[in-house]
Formats: sequence, structure tokens, C-alpha cells
Amino acid sequence: MSLPETAVKTGTAVSKAARPISSEEEYYIGRSVAARILASYKLLDAPAFTAYINLTGQSIAFHSEMPFTFGGYHFAILDTKEVNAFACPGGIIFITKGMIDLAVNEDQLAAILAHEVAHINHKDGLGAIKSSRWTEALTVLGSEAAKQYTPGEVSQLLSVFEGSIDDIVKSMVTNGYSRTQEYAADETAVTYLKASGYNPAALKEVLNAMHSKTAASEGGMMKTHPSADDRIKSVSAKITESQVNDFFKVRSKRFSESYGQFSK
Amino acid sequence: MFMLVVPALVYDPAVVYGESMQVIKKENAIRAECNFYSAVKSMVKYADTLEIVSTKGDWYMVKFLDKSGCIHKSALDKTAVKLAKTDGDKHTASKDEVSLAGKGFNPQVEDAYKKKHPELDFNLVTKIEGITVPADKVAKFIKEGGLTEEVTYEEDFKHNGIGCVFIDCLCAVNYVFT
Repeated sequence: MSLPETAVKTGTAVSKAARPISSEEEYYIGRSVAARILASYKLLDAPAFTAYINLTGQSIAFHSEMPFTFGGYHFAILDTKEVNAFACPGGIIFITKGMIDLAVNEDQLAAILAHEVAHINHKDGLGAIKSSRWTEALTVLGSEAAKQYTPGEVSQLLSVFEGSIDDIVKSMVTNGYSRTQEYAADETAVTYLKASGYNPAALKEVLNAMHSKTAASEGGMMKTHPSADDRIKSVSAKITESQVNDFFKVRSKRFSESYGQFSK
Repeated sequence: MFMLVVPALVYDPAVVYGESMQVIKKENAIRAECNFYSAVKSMVKYADTLEIVSTKGDWYMVKFLDKSGCIHKSALDKTAVKLAKTDGDKHTASKDEVSLAGKGFNPQVEDAYKKKHPELDFNLVTKIEGITVPADKVAKFIKEGGLTEEVTYEEDFKHNGIGCVFIDCLCAVNYVFT
């Protein structure tokens, strides 16, 4: 699969350090970021619909450049009307109930998830970590093999770790990624959708829905993302055709059935 | 039946056949065929060492203990080096990813973070990590939804040029859902 250049470039400050963050380290960072997100949002207990979301998300991830992360992709729903989604480093992806409510079929849901999978593969979360933190961590880590750290070393690493988590959460929840990162995630999402067999135009459709829904809102995604209108303009050229096949109805039906049970 | 068409055998300079690579995921599966939905022949864990037999698109044909099969290339890393463990034993690990195993941001650091932030619910995070969808369910989901099942690699088959010695290696050239 040929992916856009943006999909394989991390382009992060962290990656410029002596060594990049390993996939195992990314996994532990992602767990703490997820814990921080869960401190602000309630997890929705909807096992059947969560399983459906995971099937859709995994169908996308299999066609990404990283079908597996260190700990795997896991998709979960946040119980809020806020329209938002968060991609934690390492593979945990949160999607809000408000965001799900925007999608009217499986292809649109897949488009939302594809955008988040792209953020993980682009390592946009890790890119939010100030490079000085990682440089500091590397001075503690040195070049020796794995070991148990002394209390002093743990204290130093904890400080760096905590700062890194703060950087990422601030970027994800408060400031948002750069416009360039968001546009790149949209572009890669289109690639994933095409490769997976979903209709790539679904991204444009769901952005339109987001545009209508969030025009009057200032919270959630409006706070952290470029306007849906700008994103549509940016990604439109990449969506050359609407690929709706006979199975679209099958997918839409199972979405309606799953969503119907979920939204009761 | 033995009516397989052997595709072009292409030497892949990026891989040294017969040499080993290490698993860089927490766990992964060696599958009977080179697709995500094929039967699991063996589970492997982080830092397990696998012998590379051949490549096929984005997949490696590997041997691990007494099992052989396919594993996706993103699950492995190469360049094995000897590292000293703290208990004095030697073990093999990759220069890139596996040599970093347990280093840096590790469970010890996470534990320290948990102690400092008792308000954070890591059990909930672990619960989310427990949400998995079996490969056969994903396969059914993809097939029923008319989604792309898998890429075929007829023109992308790579081998060491001395002939394919594993029957399942050949059988996996073209695969379909059964």
C-alpha cells in the first residue's frame, strides 16, 4: 500500500533526539494519557456497540502502515455530548458519544476512526512532547541495557514522564495539534478508507456534519481543530471519487442496528 | 493437489534469510497464512527471536521453535546484538527496539506516576486494553461488509532464491476466505 509521505514521517521534535521513543515507551505514555482523559470524561458502558466500534476501527487499522501497535489498537466511547475524539499514543482511541451521533452510517464512523488511527501512526501525540524533556530522559537512560532504576533515577524519569504526559494532554485536549497535522491526518484517513474498502467521501460527509453541528459551538473539537470547512477544502482534492458499492447498504444496516441498540 | 504457480522469486536485500529478528510487540501471532485472519499457529511475545525464512509482501515467513508460519513485518525488528542482563546472563536482543526493552518509560516509571496520581484510574485503562476483537470476527465483519479482505502479493513474493521449502509458503500466495 502506498501511503502519503506524511504518513511515514514522524517529523517530531522527539524523533530528532539521540534515539526516538521506543514503541514500548510509547505504550506506557499512552496508558497514562488515557488515564488522564478518563479523569475528565466518563467511559460509556456499552459493550455491544464498543465491540462494533472496535471491529470498524480494526478493519481500518489493518490497512494502515502499522496494523499492530505495541499493545494493539483499542477503541472506547466517552459518555459526553461533546463532539470529539482522542488518539492516545500507542493505540487507545477514544470517541465521544457526541461524535458518534454525527455519523449516519458505518463509512462515516470509519472515517472518524481512520483520522484518529492516522494521528497515532503519525506519532502526533509524541510530537507534542518538548524535545528538552526527552533529552533529559536520555541523560538518565544512558546506553546501558535494561535495569531497575535507582530511586533517584526513577524520580528524574518520573519528572520527565509527567511533563511528557502534560504536554500531550495539553496538546490533545486544550491546544490541539497543528493545522498541518490535522490536514495530514485527514489525508492519510482517506488513504486508509480507500485501502479498507470504505467510501473515502465519507470523510467529507462527516466533516460537513461536523461543520453544521459545531458552527454554533465553541467547545470540543472546535477548540482544538481547524474548522471543518477548512478541513473539507484541504482534503477534497484527495477524494477523487465516491466509492459506494453494493455492500454500502449492508454496512449502513449493521450500523443502524448497532447504533439503534446503543442509543436507546 | 499441487498446481501452484510459483511467482517470481525476488531476493530482498533488506532481509537476511536464515537470520533472526525479534518481536517488538507486546504479543503477536504466527499465522498459518499471510493474512490477519488466518489460523494462529503460535503466539509470540516481546523479544522472542524468530528465524526468517522468506518474505511475502508485508509478511515474513518465519520459524519459531517447532512452528513455522507468517507474521506481519511490523511486528519484528532486526539486527540482533548481545546484551547483558542484570542477573549476569546474556540474552539476544535487537539493537533498535528490543535493546530498549524495559528501559526508559517502563512499568517502574508508570508505578511511580500512579503513586503520585492516585486519582487516575489505570484499572479502567487496563479494562479498555482488554477489549479485543477475535481475528475470525474481524474477518467475518470485513467479508460481510464487502470491505477489502487482503492484498494479494502475486507479483510481490520474495524469497531467498533457492526454492520455497515450505508448502504453506507456496499455498499462501493466493489466499481467500474459507
